[in-house]
Amino acid sequence: MNEKLHYWMLALPALAVMIVFYIWPVLNIWGISVTEPSTGLDNYTRMFDSNAVRVSFVLTFRIAAVTTIMCLLLGYVLAYTISNFATRVTPLMLGLVLLPFWVSVLVRSFAWIVLLGRSGLVNDALIDTGLITSPIRIMHNELGVLIAMVHVMLPFAVLPMLTNMRGIDDSYVKAARGLGASEWRAFREVYFPQTLPGVFSGGLLVFVLSLGFYITPALLGGGRVMMISEYITYQIQEFLNWGLGAALSVALLVATALVLLVAGRFVNLRKTFLERG
Amino acid sequence: MARSPLRIFFATGSWAILAFLVLPILVVIPVSLTDTAFIGLPKDHLSLQHFDTFLHSPKWLWATWTSVWIGAIVAAASTALGTAFCIGCWFLSDRAAMIARWVMIVPILVPPVVQSLGFYKFWVTLGLIDTHFGVILAHTLLALPYVTISVFAALTNLDRRIPQAARNLGAPLGMAIRTVILPSIRPGMFTGAIFAFIVSFDEIVGVLFITVRQVETLPKMIWEGIQESIDPVIAAVATILVLMTLLVTAATVARSYMSSKPKLT
Amino acid sequence: MEKIDTEFKSDLIEIAAERYKSGRLSRRGFVSAMGALGLVPLLGDRAMAQASELVVCNWGGQASEILAELLGKAYEAETGIPVRVDGAGPSAGKVRAMVESGAVVWDVCDSGAGSAIVMNEAGVIQEIDYNIVDRNKVLKGTALPFAIGNYVFSYALSYNPTMLPGGTPRTWADVWNVEAFPGMRTFRKSVRGQLEAAALAMGVAKEDVYTFLDDEGIKAAIAKFRALRDNIIVWGSGADSQNLFLQGEVAMGNIYSTRAFLLRDQMEPGTFEMTFDGAVLQPGMWVVPKNNPAGTEAAMNFIATCQNPELQAEWFAAIGNAPINPAAAELVPAELAFLNPNSPENVAKQVIYNDEWYGKNQVSAEELYIDALIG
Repeated sequence: MNEKLHYWMLALPALAVMIVFYIWPVLNIWGISVTEPSTGLDNYTRMFDSNAVRVSFVLTFRIAAVTTIMCLLLGYVLAYTISNFATRVTPLMLGLVLLPFWVSVLVRSFAWIVLLGRSGLVNDALIDTGLITSPIRIMHNELGVLIAMVHVMLPFAVLPMLTNMRGIDDSYVKAARGLGASEWRAFREVYFPQTLPGVFSGGLLVFVLSLGFYITPALLGGGRVMMISEYITYQIQEFLNWGLGAALSVALLVATALVLLVAGRFVNLRKTFLERG
Repeated sequence: MARSPLRIFFATGSWAILAFLVLPILVVIPVSLTDTAFIGLPKDHLSLQHFDTFLHSPKWLWATWTSVWIGAIVAAASTALGTAFCIGCWFLSDRAAMIARWVMIVPILVPPVVQSLGFYKFWVTLGLIDTHFGVILAHTLLALPYVTISVFAALTNLDRRIPQAARNLGAPLGMAIRTVILPSIRPGMFTGAIFAFIVSFDEIVGVLFITVRQVETLPKMIWEGIQESIDPVIAAVATILVLMTLLVTAATVARSYMSSKPKLT
Repeated sequence: MEKIDTEFKSDLIEIAAERYKSGRLSRRGFVSAMGALGLVPLLGDRAMAQASELVVCNWGGQASEILAELLGKAYEAETGIPVRVDGAGPSAGKVRAMVESGAVVWDVCDSGAGSAIVMNEAGVIQEIDYNIVDRNKVLKGTALPFAIGNYVFSYALSYNPTMLPGGTPRTWADVWNVEAFPGMRTFRKSVRGQLEAAALAMGVAKEDVYTFLDDEGIKAAIAKFRALRDNIIVWGSGADSQNLFLQGEVAMGNIYSTRAFLLRDQMEPGTFEMTFDGAVLQPGMWVVPKNNPAGTEAAMNFIATCQNPELQAEWFAAIGNAPINPAAAELVPAELAFLNPNSPENVAKQVIYNDEWYGKNQVSAEELYIDALIG
């Protein structure tokens, strides 16, 4: 028992700091939402009555979903190549996957602004090569936001899939091939099902993180791709509307929690969040 | 292995995706060398004038320095707190410890704007708005999940019986930790500290909420720069950050080549 | 022992006072350093009697430089107190954060009527002292209890002719005519000065805009934006709108006349035009945050200095912030008069911003507006 107390003494400082300075303030947002500007559930009625809020929530979930699907598709290809074709370039590939990880989202958003603008490098190049005659719109809209978000989230999708794929015993695929299955069939029926836990894990991670995005949509969305986080900031910064901002935050938190709760039935949450490599 | 269609598809696909990941970041380099006063490719010749502006701007340098030292303190504080926490939980290994570990990673799951709102309100009551300490505290909280994840990963590889043996031989807990556990989880602590530094160094949303004018960090300057002006000095700053990342990545990749054949773990 | 301690303390006071004067220690830092030494009572009010500097916050870019050079220098010449201009953008959110934190660094802020009302309701700005500031040296109706007009600007139709080879828009109806005038448009991320444009586009006479914009009218105006939204990029800050034109992202838009004034210089000749036809004329506002570091009096003195008609005229010539002081109108250089939103000819072309309407309708309209634009 005394022993246990010692162990708790080690764990307690960090835990206490986290609970007092993080968990408590975040829970307190609920308090703001029912007291500002007046006591009651007015902010919630306003929120549920607001079409703008509904549109923003739908937009947020749509963008998170598309980002997740794109990240899984692209990430799968990368993870498969890195874990299955052991060549001299494998460490280089891994390094390149991780590289954007270390470059701040701000810097990357800036790079995309330079690239995707109406007179940006992509449009200039396309016009110079004669592929298009007038600039196309790839920024200040949902497309621009999606491109930049996939870019930010892709490494988050690759890593869980990579961990999963590295743990797969290749003897099953070999056996299937030995029994005459084509390479494609062996992949589809034997290998792919084994990778599903990694896919779900990566997908959940990307989806949950995407729900809270603020910087990328704010910089690349042209003001019209207003995801919930930007909506909250806008209410607070422009109108000092803390009550509604807090109510929206609570809604976003609850939505995130629901996603995790539902996902917990299909995904190993512990592997996804606690034991990430 | 033969060149099968499947293999070719994955290999070429991978290089295309890697190009998508890396090339856009590199675009800041030519832009930073522009000889114009606005953001774009160089017109007549390459110029280092925007780097010069950065290196002679007290505001930019001060903000960079602020971000560096705050990041260093955050790395130290969160690694110390997080490592102690992980060791405690690792010894305990019971249900309560598991719940505690979940509590520690909550900051990863909560949307940045939501947590910043919480910080703001609480920091107002504590008088921490627009103070360096307020930023350090917030960043330490945001870094703790990353530290605990990497340190705990290192601990799971450690054989439980070793520190137990040391204890049985009469070593007090502190000594067992210092002599047996810490040396073997050092790589995990190091990774955690690096993560913590980066989390703090890049953090923007929280800083936007809990600082006004007394505390200026590098991300805040970049954010304001992108929104407020067309000054290519941002491209110069971005280039410096990207080049540093490239160097570190190159060094890491080179190291993994040196250490024997391509390892897959 | 006692003596040494006192000497040590007085030494510390000197160091702190020195730093405070040279600006390295904020007032709050100074006071808390004194507090830590248990010396606040010794200090009395004297140390704070003369402010070391006055910090004015506006919205960045050239506007900050001009403010410092022109009005800042004039104030320093009068009072001996140097002025520092911070271009951080004193949004309602930032001012509130600063006041709530207790670490106020801004003395005077360049705000607008709408934000001033929001800030006043949040209780973060001071009453204007009309014993120092002259309420007759501003446009009628802009001397509010908690804010006072600083200059005049418009939300004006601006466009880039080179991006409109088929012809340039003359009216808001043209802006809504996507077939005849293709290209992206920019509007503000707030209804301020924007719904008026939609009303005018529907053929409402400019005198009737605000009567037209009742509940039904607002809905109709919002519907106009919904119809146009695929051609809209939204600007959040003045600098934002400037960038959209500079980088060729938009062909036309509804932006501040002050930013348009700058764009005329910054863009190649012939690539930027602005018209006051159907613009919305609005006063900007000075506000003073509660507990401002230099003290109420210094802030009020600064505002009073800025009311000087000569300075007002110069300010306009430099950056396009039109004089709020009616006496300054005749001092505006004749060759620039056509750019002055507040000149009689230009006023006749414009809608005059209606505070009352905004007080009553802004919150609900804002909601509908965002709803129409996003998604």
